[in-house]
Amino acid sequence: MNTDEDDFVFYGTPIQSEEELISRKKKAVAEASGHLRTLPSWKQEVRDEEGRRRFHGAFTGGFSAGYYNTAGSKEGWTPQTFTSSRKNRAEFKQQSMLNFLDEDEKEELEGRYLGTASQFDTFGFTAAEIARKQAEKEQQQRPSAVPGPAPDEIVLPATESIGVKLLLKMGWRHGHSINDSHANSLYKARREARKAFLAFSSDDAKSQPEDSEPGEEDHKRILDHPSVDGFSSSQSTPVYILNPKEDTHGLGYDPYKHAPEFREKKRTRVSGKQGHGNKQALSIKDSLFGLKFTFGPSAGRAAPGFGIGALEEYDAEDEDVYASVYEIEDTYIQEDEEPLRSNTENKPKLIWKEHGVLSGFKVALNSDYQLERFDPPVIPKDFLPHHKFPSPLEFDNKPDAPPEVPPPEDDNLKILIEGVATLVARCGKLFEDLSREKNQSNPLFSFLTGGNGHDYYSRKLWEEQQKRNGQKKIALDGKFSSSVDKMTVESRGKILGEMPLERSSRDLSSSIASVNVNLPFNLSDTFTKPESSSEFPEVAKPFQDDPGKQARFEQFLKEKYQGGIRSTVSSGASNMSEAARARERLDFEAASEVIEKGKFIKENKLHSQQLMGFSAIGGTQLTFGGLQQVKDTQDEDLATKKIYPRREEFQWRPSAILCKRFDLIDPSMGKASLDNNLMLPLHFQSLLYIFRICALFSSMVKGLGLQPPPPPRMRSKMDSLIVTSDLKAMKMEEAFSADRNQPLALQFSPQEVSKDVVDRETEPEVQVENVERPVDLYKAIFSDDSDDEIEASNLNTKEDPEKKVEVVHSTLNRLMAGDFLESLGKELGLEVPPNPPYSANIAGSSRQKESAIPNPGNVNILSVEENSFSIPIAHSVSLKERAANDEKTEKKGESRKDESAKKGESPGPSEDKSDKVHSGKIAREDRKKAKLPPSLHRKRTSTSSEDERSRKRSRRHRHSSSDSYSDSSNDHRDRHHSRSKGRKKRSSREKTSSKKHHKHHKHGSSQ
Amino acid sequence: MSDVSELPSKEANVLKGHEGGVLAARFNSDGNYCLSCGKDRTIRLWNPHRGIHIKTYKSHGREVRDVHVTKDNSKLVSCGGDRQVFYWDVATGRVIRKFRGHGSEVNAVKFNEYASVVVSAGYDQSLRAWDCRSHSTEPIQIIDTFSDSVMSVCLTKTEIIAGSVDGTVRTFDIRIGREISDNLGQPVNCISMSNDDNCILAGCLDSTLRLLDRSTGELLQEYKGHICKSYKLDCCLTNTDAHVAGGSEDGYIYFWDLVDASVLSRFRAHSSVVTSVSYHPTDNCMVSASVDGTIKLVK
Repeated sequence: MNTDEDDFVFYGTPIQSEEELISRKKKAVAEASGHLRTLPSWKQEVRDEEGRRRFHGAFTGGFSAGYYNTAGSKEGWTPQTFTSSRKNRAEFKQQSMLNFLDEDEKEELEGRYLGTASQFDTFGFTAAEIARKQAEKEQQQRPSAVPGPAPDEIVLPATESIGVKLLLKMGWRHGHSINDSHANSLYKARREARKAFLAFSSDDAKSQPEDSEPGEEDHKRILDHPSVDGFSSSQSTPVYILNPKEDTHGLGYDPYKHAPEFREKKRTRVSGKQGHGNKQALSIKDSLFGLKFTFGPSAGRAAPGFGIGALEEYDAEDEDVYASVYEIEDTYIQEDEEPLRSNTENKPKLIWKEHGVLSGFKVALNSDYQLERFDPPVIPKDFLPHHKFPSPLEFDNKPDAPPEVPPPEDDNLKILIEGVATLVARCGKLFEDLSREKNQSNPLFSFLTGGNGHDYYSRKLWEEQQKRNGQKKIALDGKFSSSVDKMTVESRGKILGEMPLERSSRDLSSSIASVNVNLPFNLSDTFTKPESSSEFPEVAKPFQDDPGKQARFEQFLKEKYQGGIRSTVSSGASNMSEAARARERLDFEAASEVIEKGKFIKENKLHSQQLMGFSAIGGTQLTFGGLQQVKDTQDEDLATKKIYPRREEFQWRPSAILCKRFDLIDPSMGKASLDNNLMLPLHFQSLLYIFRICALFSSMVKGLGLQPPPPPRMRSKMDSLIVTSDLKAMKMEEAFSADRNQPLALQFSPQEVSKDVVDRETEPEVQVENVERPVDLYKAIFSDDSDDEIEASNLNTKEDPEKKVEVVHSTLNRLMAGDFLESLGKELGLEVPPNPPYSANIAGSSRQKESAIPNPGNVNILSVEENSFSIPIAHSVSLKERAANDEKTEKKGESRKDESAKKGESPGPSEDKSDKVHSGKIAREDRKKAKLPPSLHRKRTSTSSEDERSRKRSRRHRHSSSDSYSDSSNDHRDRHHSRSKGRKKRSSREKTSSKKHHKHHKHGSSQ
Repeated sequence: MSDVSELPSKEANVLKGHEGGVLAARFNSDGNYCLSCGKDRTIRLWNPHRGIHIKTYKSHGREVRDVHVTKDNSKLVSCGGDRQVFYWDVATGRVIRKFRGHGSEVNAVKFNEYASVVVSAGYDQSLRAWDCRSHSTEPIQIIDTFSDSVMSVCLTKTEIIAGSVDGTVRTFDIRIGREISDNLGQPVNCISMSNDDNCILAGCLDSTLRLLDRSTGELLQEYKGHICKSYKLDCCLTNTDAHVAGGSEDGYIYFWDLVDASVLSRFRAHSSVVTSVSYHPTDNCMVSASVDGTIKLVK
């Protein structure tokens, strides 16, 4: 290779030396790593690995720019108005023939143009033009005798429609609108002259009609059609002619935009030129607007304040309430309103102008054209404004309401009866007859003919009628207005499906009257309020200072209480305005209400008096005369004072931030929002249950002479809420256990029981799952409870003392082992003949313990226990604390040891079991049946059927028994774990069996 | 009982400047200055004792119906026909914030004790509380239990009290979250607190002022004689709580004895409706404003 090198001759510039390259590279690297980094990104240059700036050709922009070759910003240059060409393609140009034509061709084409065919040229403009041109041509061609162009009328082509011809005959000319106006110059001139004349003799305008000027007729006609006159030429003439532009301002420029007062000035100037009539017109306009507008110096007065927002519009509410008092306000309003008006009301103004222009006519001060008003008929003085029905209302004939009848048992029948009653009440007797006829054969409708349920039907019908009547009355009262019709007690009850208690149908319009529900009075009481103001004359005069008003008020009261038709006249003096009447009416309502309330207070005292009063009113329908005009101002004052002020209190929830800003503690802090508050009562209920149960329990314990259990550990609120239902269940168990232990109390230290109790008490903490349906549980518990106690006590008395001891031992042991529920099952088995093994086991309580443990029902407990063995000491300590019974805890410890020993002894079944516990319930059950440990056989000597039964029971209760045991082990997670396996299947059964459960307890206690 | 002769009766100063009716005039908390607002869409700050017009605040688009100033005189709040509540800086005369939200005209406005909240009463039957501390312009609380236009509002440290045309004076106690409604049966025009905060004086549209005990809602006294039937007129108690002062639609100013409700003095102060009266917090003088465009200091 070296030799080869020598032979080569080098041409051109040599390649750069390696060193150079390297240095440049280094530089590049350095730059890249070093100072480049310090440069702002948009200043950095792109270099290749050789350190050279990259050149990519002029066409693409020369050197690569910095910052990723973009425009110097991170985003680079992005077209801001980019539109996708995908959907929005460039507009496709419509090609026409003209695009392809040459100039000369186009010229050729120009000869042809569109025009109206003569037969469609109604007004003949085109044709006339053509004809005129033709005529001109002709005229030029042949000189005629008549010089100049022939008149249009002569040369008109025959295409003129007949209508146009007629119109022309009538004087219409082309370019004019078609109406019968005589806006011709001849009359106009005459009118102007007349105007001038009138201006002088305006005072004796009345003599004008006698004026026999030739224009007279014309004026009359114009008067007849004033508006036509106004629009006479405006229909076809464009606006600019009507409203000619006379100034030198640019089009659309309004010099008075911000100075409307000048516009007015100008207008007056202009109108002043036109004549006096205009002024009149303006004044008319002003009077129409109700403004005190003057053209004098005030017009130019500077406006107070400054412009309002462009978008703000003054509405009715902006009318200045102080306008009458404050002078400036006139111009103020003027200024605000003027621009609007001048823009929008140009035309009307013109009309008004025209009105005024009518020469010799002023707007009549008292025109004979009046809205015809018919005075209301005069009401005779002796007219009593409410109608007294000879028999108050249709069903008043029936003196008494049918007696209250319990509805028939058959719900369908009840509904049917009620439905029919409603319909009959609504549609009348006819409906009843009809349906009776129709359903003669139908046994369901036998109540119509006096069969089953007739009593109820008649009662129902009566009620319905009462109700309907009440409604009618209210409707007649005209009280309905906008307020929603009050829900009466009855209607509410109806909706809720309640049965009316007693005479509830009476209180239709007043809840106050419901106080006197006691006695069935005359029927009229049922739809008029029984009390009347006559009984309280001293209170019922809130308007003493105004006798008229007072009289009206009494009238009002009378109507209110006595029913009947309320005439409008009665509710206010006929000369009163509608508003005043309404206000008065409100006053009355309020006053009467207060009076009623006053009565309500006095009710008790005056009861006996009232009774008498009622009967009197019911019978005679008193009408009040001037009897009550006894004045007692002090009482009256008191009465009004009693009305108001009325104090009411409501819940109100200040927002948190408001409280914060007021530097106060939010009263609703921590509480649920209002929505959640609705949920609260439920919680309260359950809490209440807890308390009650606690109370019950403690009283029981006390009754047994036991010392009350130590207070349960402090729990969070949440816990107690959740636990509620289960707590109840457990409490019941406690109660039962207490029951059962009652006889035992002789032999056993009270601590024992209390310990038991404590164990139970702590349980609820565990049972987080069973929260549903506290109410049902509650019922179940308490309905059973009372029975149980009695039964238990009865049974206890029958028991022989020996057995008691046995039972005591056994229960104790079971409790110790946590096999409480299992024992229940056994006890149930004991219900029949007493168990020999029990007596055998009396002495060896520890053995029994042992035997109890591997009990098949207890399998899962075992598994739990395995898990919880890690903390047996803690458990025992806690027990010690609570029960203060060392011996027991020792025993427990023993039993556990036994247990574990047992496990060691027979690892086969127990291990197997503990494994399988997790695999599911069914398998477990099977095994239970199949592999009963020998100890169990030994223990169980009762009949197989009993055994079976008890096992079933125990299975059912296993869940809770496991809880009861594992609770003491304090290991929640494990518990949940083990329990959750069978829970799904069991939960439903659990619930249903809860009742039975307690029954079993009961039986158990009978041992 | 203080002497009748102590009651202001002489016109000490006339403050002219408003073009159009003056709708409210209020002393500031120490009584050295007075604020007025009126139909001319301005709020004006005066020294009534020297009769000097100090500053004009313009920004409202419609008439200004009520104005209130903080205790430290640093901020103003005003409201009016433009449905807005303006929160001003007194010194610069700039609007710091505009609170929009009322559906219609705003009748009255007040700061709370700490000037952190503004409560406005509107024709839209609502009370709205606005936060001055945050930058939010949304109301922090809307109270809309009223059934008619709310005319007047008063704030204590813990309560919001408002009078409405529906005849109720409602007290909203923030501490216990309770609303107490005292129905007076007559449209309530104006409410004002006694200086001991135990009573409310409510001006009703039946030409009666009513004094209510706040704790029981009892009607303690009624003051009659003046005319108040169609305008929103102010009323107030004197700084000693011994007398009741109120304007009348005929331009008179009335003074009643608080206890026996007798008219102690009356004099014609203005040519037309006396819209507003405000009693000096310490001295025996008061300002009155009228539709005739003047504000008068009466000593």
